[in-house]
Amino acid sequence: MDLQPSSMTPIDTTTSPHAGKHILCVEDEHFISELYARALTKAGYLIDIESDGTNALAKAQSDNYDVILLDLMIPSIDGIEILRRLRDPAQTKPLKAKVIIITNLEQRDDVRADIEKQADGYIIKAEITPHELAEFLDNMAL
Amino acid sequence: MDYFEGAKIQIRAYLIFVILAENLLLIVGIWFAVAKLYLPLAYVALGAYAVSVIMTFIITVAATDFAMQPLQAIWRAVMHLAPNHNNVAAPDINKLVVGRTLVTNLTAQIYQIASVAEQTASVVDKQSSSLKANFIASNMPLPLFVLDASQTIVYTNAAAGAYLGRNADDMIGQNVYSILNMLFPSEATFNVWLQQAKTNSVTSSSFWERVRIDVSDNQPTRLFDLAAYYNKGNSLHYETMLILFDHTKSYSQDDQAVSLIALGVHELRTPLALLRGYIETFDEETQGKLDPELAGFMAKMKATAQQLTAFVNNILNVARVDNDQLSLKLHEENWPMVLQSAVDMMSLRAEVRGITLKLNIAEGLPTVGADRISMQEVIDNLIDNAIKYSGSSKQITISSSVNAEGFVETSVQDDGVGIPANIVQNLFTKFYRDHRNRAQIGGTGLGLFLCKAIVTAHGGNIWVKSKEGKGSTFSFTLLPYSRLADEVKNSDNKEIARVAHGWIKNHSLYRR
Repeated sequence: MDLQPSSMTPIDTTTSPHAGKHILCVEDEHFISELYARALTKAGYLIDIESDGTNALAKAQSDNYDVILLDLMIPSIDGIEILRRLRDPAQTKPLKAKVIIITNLEQRDDVRADIEKQADGYIIKAEITPHELAEFLDNMAL
Repeated sequence: MDYFEGAKIQIRAYLIFVILAENLLLIVGIWFAVAKLYLPLAYVALGAYAVSVIMTFIITVAATDFAMQPLQAIWRAVMHLAPNHNNVAAPDINKLVVGRTLVTNLTAQIYQIASVAEQTASVVDKQSSSLKANFIASNMPLPLFVLDASQTIVYTNAAAGAYLGRNADDMIGQNVYSILNMLFPSEATFNVWLQQAKTNSVTSSSFWERVRIDVSDNQPTRLFDLAAYYNKGNSLHYETMLILFDHTKSYSQDDQAVSLIALGVHELRTPLALLRGYIETFDEETQGKLDPELAGFMAKMKATAQQLTAFVNNILNVARVDNDQLSLKLHEENWPMVLQSAVDMMSLRAEVRGITLKLNIAEGLPTVGADRISMQEVIDNLIDNAIKYSGSSKQITISSSVNAEGFVETSVQDDGVGIPANIVQNLFTKFYRDHRNRAQIGGTGLGLFLCKAIVTAHGGNIWVKSKEGKGSTFSFTLLPYSRLADEVKNSDNKEIARVAHGWIKNHSLYRR
């Protein structure tokens, strides 16, 4: 079964208040990205998956997205560095996209608070199902 | 010396009197024999000599006895007191004819000296026994604290000093609670026992296990067993004795076991999340397309994955509680909504076992201060237990209302197997499992421990009422949000941070 988002048509674009919004999912774990892609596409979002840090940064800086789901542990440039560069006015002009951290990393409270300050959301992947992720995005003011 | 002279004069007078009497008797006898009986002088002289020999012999014996009387009395007095001649009777001084005053005086002195000697001996004995006690107490390789009636340390030994990293003498005069920061695994703390002992007992002793004590600043907390003895109104002010037994090694093995399991279990989180994701996707996208049996299997698959997730979370959270790392963020929450969603999450797990969850929420509950995710876990664990111990009963009732103290009280009630009274008190202890059901019913013995840590961190209480064969009701309280309002005022972001511990502080009435 081909789960590439480009080849999928949204099943029901009326289910989500944000139907048609563009999501960049930066995630190198294929099982997770395919689950998220299917659930979010079904909920009416357009989803683009990127598993490499350098490519992800370039795509994010194009400012074509409404939401960026950003895993912290990805190859080449890690998520924290991507976030830093996205929030650095010298490197990236202010983005319209909301950046949501998706991770399973156990962080110390202060580290997490630091990351949360720069991001618009923080999700522990193990605590949320794809359906709940879609609900979370539906409830966000995009 | 007057008494001595008196005795000498007495003896001298006696001897003079006896010798003169003998002489007189002899002369009278000689005169009588010569003048009246006309016996020849030679015979008389011979006879007189014979009589004189006999009388001298008799007189000497009598005189010796007489003169020796005082000496004999004194000998008796000494022998009477001598340790190995206790069968010698004390002299009867009143019967003494000669030297009575001397003897009375001397024996009195002897008795006095003897009694002083005896006292000295007993003092020496006492001193040596207190030296022994002191030797034992100060060299006993267990920390020992002796407290007076105001819980002030009056004695402590070298081992206590070594454990606490300070000089034993420096701790004397300090309040025990300022020296020992004790954390107990249950409400039955040292102080609770001591207050009860002070009110109800003359002597009492007690024992505690798994007491956490921060022994010194730069060292990790150690785990002790504690033994204490109470003795009311002790004349030395040694009212309470407290001995610590260090079991850090064995107890921390349990904790390490949890940490180790947690380390492994942590790696289950991602695969489990994936599994639940795939199950969810399948469930949603095959909705209405599966035959009833397969739909049932799908539900059971989903319920089992949820149960496994809850188990993993329990282990991870207990490890966090052990390390004081389970941090909670209390927000104002609409309790009926939280409860409803928690119960909804559990309904599938109940349903696949044919059990119905009934929810009774009183009207007009105030909002509560709660950490939603942790509270979800508390309710999860209580309902999960109720399901496991439901027996043949098919309904679990969850109810919530405001109690007499104004707290929001929530109960999970089953009509299942119940809990025997003797094990109720251990239920909230880590690793405790009802041994009756160990074989039949799975579990880690961590769920209720975690519930208690979470509820306590919320400022609430958790307890159980149960009757064997009739079922159990687990209840817990939460504070209405209004009661936490003061804490919120001092916080920047409308939330209250708490850390869940598995330990009860030794609440003390002591204020310094």
